[in-house]
Amino acid sequence: MHIPDGFLDLKTCVTTGVAGALAVAFGLRKTRDTLMRQEVPKIALIGAFIFAAQMLNFPISGATSGHFLGGTLAAILFGPAVAVIVMASVLIIQALVFQDGGLTVLGANILCTGVIGIYSGYGFYRLGLGLLRGRASHVVTFLAAWISIVSASAGVALLLAWSDTFPLDIALKAMVGWHSLIGIGEGFITAMVVAYLTERRIAIEPLPAKREVPQA
Amino acid sequence: MNEPRKVTGNKRKWIVLAIVTLLAGGIISYFASPHPDGLERVAEDHGFIDKAESPSWTAWIADYEVPGIGVPLLKVGVAGLIGAGLLFLVLYSITGSLSRRVRGKDDVGQNDDHAS
Repeated sequence: MHIPDGFLDLKTCVTTGVAGALAVAFGLRKTRDTLMRQEVPKIALIGAFIFAAQMLNFPISGATSGHFLGGTLAAILFGPAVAVIVMASVLIIQALVFQDGGLTVLGANILCTGVIGIYSGYGFYRLGLGLLRGRASHVVTFLAAWISIVSASAGVALLLAWSDTFPLDIALKAMVGWHSLIGIGEGFITAMVVAYLTERRIAIEPLPAKREVPQA
Repeated sequence: MNEPRKVTGNKRKWIVLAIVTLLAGGIISYFASPHPDGLERVAEDHGFIDKAESPSWTAWIADYEVPGIGVPLLKVGVAGLIGAGLLFLVLYSITGSLSRRVRGKDDVGQNDDHAS
């Protein structure tokens, strides 16, 4: 859901530009305080993966496609501050080199698919894990990724309405409608990759009871 | 940290992810759905897709197709590999310059970490 140049008016571009820049600055600052050296190649690899996965548009109904975004994935693995940097880097390179998403709306894209998507998805993830005490974490991950796509699309709808491109109620309905389908794909990919790349944090547990040796 | 799951340190899994990334960007990307995505669909349905401008002079690989390559599969695939490679380099240098601490080594005295 990369917004192209021309969809948003000047005030929206400027406001979101400032907000996006602040968010990235905050992300960089926070990351500087907490980042561990051994995470660096992993973060870089996840960024490359997110870029490649975003190219893979999958068909949904009605001659429409959707693609992975990855904000929730990056946030679950490395925290929301790092995720903002990853998503901003992906969006900046896509806009600069690949003409995917406009330059004047870069801030808007960072705000919606980055900040809103990341914090809504990650917020739900932490809340869900807390409430369920870590049970059903794959389901929580799936739902978190779904919510992040739907919130990001609602953010885009708000900006479209604010720019008078499109009335708010129709914009919300249309954007949220399509992206609640696309979010299912996001949920599956995020849950799969998180399951593969994370392990349970195990405190020292007693060994399982010895099984009886079967009689020959 | 009370996260129930931690990021794996298993090198093999990260190598698998790297291979998946190369396959996704380099080959599978060619077979991606050409249909408009969610936002483009909404813009088409409600008549403002024509507002989209694409004047960016910096975009030397517009629409994920490297100019000057004849084979369509390569056109998209090379674009995917360049993009993934760029992301790796950019994020490696950004996060690399931000991280100074190595777990266990420099933990002592981390409170006066305000130099520079």
